Amino acid sequence: MSKLENKLLIDVGSTYFKLCTKDNVQQHFRDFNKDIYDDLTYKCADIIKNYNKENIHICSSANGGLSTLIIGITNSFSLKYATNIAFNSGINIIDTVLFRDIEKTSIPSDLIDVVIVVGGIDSVSNIFDERLFKFLDGLNYSNIVYVGSEKDSAFLKENIQNLSILPNIINEKLHVEEENLKEYLTNLYQADIMGKEDIKHLYNITSNQIFSTPYIVNKTLPMIDSKFKVADPYILIDIGGATTDIHYSKDLVEENMVTENEYDRLVFKKLGVYKSKESLIFAAKNNEFVYELLAHLKVTENIFEESSEKATRILMQLAIFLVLCKVSAYRKAYVNLKLNALNSIVLTGGITKVLKQEEIEDIVTFFYKKILNSQHNPTIVMDNNYDVWTLGMLEK
Amino acid sequence: MSLLQEERNIILNNEHVDNFDFAEVEDFVKNASKDLFISYNFKTKNKMLVQPRGGFPTYDKMFALYDFFDKADVDVLPCTIDSNTRLNDYATAKKMLRLSEENEVDMLNGYPLVTHGYRTSRKMMTHFNKPISLRHGTPDARLLIETAIASGIFEIEGGPITYLLPYSKNFPLDKAFLYWKYVERVCAEYSKLNEPINRESFGPLTATLVPPCITIVIQLLEMLLSLEEGVKSFSVSFSQTGSMNQDIVMGAVIRKLARHYSEEIGVTDADIHLVYHQWMGAFPMDQNYASQLINMSTVIASMVGANKIITKTKQEASGIPTKEANAETVANTQYLLRILNGLPKLKDEQEEEILTAEVMAIMEAVFNDPADTLWRKVFNSIKNGTIDVPFSPHIINNNEMITVRDRNKNIRIIKRGKVPIPHRCFEYEKNQCDLNKDTTSIVNDIIHDIGIMQ
Repeated sequence: MSKLENKLLIDVGSTYFKLCTKDNVQQHFRDFNKDIYDDLTYKCADIIKNYNKENIHICSSANGGLSTLIIGITNSFSLKYATNIAFNSGINIIDTVLFRDIEKTSIPSDLIDVVIVVGGIDSVSNIFDERLFKFLDGLNYSNIVYVGSEKDSAFLKENIQNLSILPNIINEKLHVEEENLKEYLTNLYQADIMGKEDIKHLYNITSNQIFSTPYIVNKTLPMIDSKFKVADPYILIDIGGATTDIHYSKDLVEENMVTENEYDRLVFKKLGVYKSKESLIFAAKNNEFVYELLAHLKVTENIFEESSEKATRILMQLAIFLVLCKVSAYRKAYVNLKLNALNSIVLTGGITKVLKQEEIEDIVTFFYKKILNSQHNPTIVMDNNYDVWTLGMLEK
Repeated sequence: MSLLQEERNIILNNEHVDNFDFAEVEDFVKNASKDLFISYNFKTKNKMLVQPRGGFPTYDKMFALYDFFDKADVDVLPCTIDSNTRLNDYATAKKMLRLSEENEVDMLNGYPLVTHGYRTSRKMMTHFNKPISLRHGTPDARLLIETAIASGIFEIEGGPITYLLPYSKNFPLDKAFLYWKYVERVCAEYSKLNEPINRESFGPLTATLVPPCITIVIQLLEMLLSLEEGVKSFSVSFSQTGSMNQDIVMGAVIRKLARHYSEEIGVTDADIHLVYHQWMGAFPMDQNYASQLINMSTVIASMVGANKIITKTKQEASGIPTKEANAETVANTQYLLRILNGLPKLKDEQEEEILTAEVMAIMEAVFNDPADTLWRKVFNSIKNGTIDVPFSPHIINNNEMITVRDRNKNIRIIKRGKVPIPHRCFEYEKNQCDLNKDTTSIVNDIIHDIGIMQ
């Protein structure tokens, strides 16, 4: 912790503030009726006043993160690469659209922060046509970026207003080139913060860039064994109030691409135990194993109607189960992880303050037995201090 | 408790491992017969060691194979691991082993060591009192090597580059480096207890027109990665290129530079050995031709002065060789080595100078990478094409280098991609080839050169 000397690290979450100094880690429940800056400075003024602006580092997921919709040509390359870059930049993906199906795709009604259009290597032309423009006309978005074949960029520029054009993310060897899009999305996140009044005020107390929390957590992963007893390959599940993130070692997937990260990230936007409670319950009710799980936990589905500490615990256990289902062969999400090869599961987020180690082990064992028909038992590691993010903050 | 021990505890706390007893294993290694250590054999046997390949799924068949080899006067026994275990799919290996045991049909293409477990395997591995070499191809070999050493297998083949670029398409290379770091550390730890555990790199790579400079660079880098973790006995290796002269030059250069670079990193107390693989490319279907090729390989191994030769069989082109064919090769190779006396010492100074310059230029580029650790320098060098292995299936490999044989069957570089060999060396390489042909003819030459021994 010598790197922490004179530094204050702050994580602004959707439910809590976390402050880390060389002496301890504190958590403060947020007051949602107050501006974030006012709330933070009111609750933690006596700590903040001891640090210079340049020694305060902040990461935040409180602005909800950015949302994106990706339009690509194939699942194997353009969509896969753009999805991977977006997730690892801390962006939430609303939907991905295959261009050949674009006329059959329903247009989302939400406001999309950024649309990513991608497809083809630079030697290919005439990939996109009027169908794209028609789709975009019906879409409500704030930014749009093109990272596909260079030969189509002039045509798209003519037909799409305010289109940002970046170098192709697919090179001539069909490998991913992630840097430019990653930087663009990170800057967009930054601009989003600057546009959100209550986050923007945080620059009154720091002179450092505010990063997205998932981005920071991803940075911590290669160093995690300095803090916990874990062995690769492992996954880190961050179950928060609004979303559940899963960061996984890349050797757990068959279809890798060559990127800078050792670990990739997936986000389940509607799988949280506080702000996304309703959609979590909805997902649970649609899982055929959940009733067996509830029986195993000795509760009935009436628990979903309750608002008690016990109900919260059950929801958290369900969230663990559902996220494992979503990345297993049982429910094909964006990736299937080879969960039988897992050595460790690290849990962080609000969940570590509520559930006991044995309650989590119970769920994981149930999952392996029921879904994977296996006796496998990866070690469960709890980030009880809820400060795994500090490792990545110090690296920035 | 050290970080390494913590990791070991987690790795071995696995449903497929039957209660790993660290203290007992340590005690076993400490008191194991020195004859089981190939590092000890290298020091004490004044001959080229002969090692075949081979592995069967069931205990009984594996034991029978070893018995055959023993009768054929083998020096080193092989333990070739099945594909499922190589991919860490122990559940399938277990299922297939049961099928093999119940039906007398081999449902696995090797010995599933993790599934058998070290307590069972150790009985067999120590029975013949000969060193055993682990042959696998596993990117994540942590559990496998723990089981191997606990079983009495004191030579571990492979490495993060040589077991990934020829074998895998997608496994992340950075992870492979970290997993192999664990392997090196465990080998180094056990080496303190008795004779050193020997690590051997896999020199053949794709066995498809790999130019000598690339082979040697990768061998040297895997050696350095091993030595920096404390390994005290290491074997560099390469396979027959198809040109006797090139093999002899390679042998001389790799020996000289292995010494040079190990001293560069301040390691002077490690034993470095040279291993020669008999022809690793496509074999002739005609078994008589195959036998000639095998004999020729043995002669070249002697000319090269290898410390160990790894044999092939005359059945190589037609499936998994029988134990009889394997044992026959061992006996023939031993006979040939006994009668190969008075071989002349050959030296091609120009070729040696060119190859040395190529290797040193690539090594310098690797060392100049700004990364803070050697493994990451090597990783970056592969990623940016400084090291490029022809015909590697792995997505990280640059695949821009093109090689072809010259009129004397030497492998020559005609397109270097991003590999920083000196300009004069590149010109020399190209000048040995007839490049005045059209592209189609050159492609046909390359195809012919791949199957040159068929």
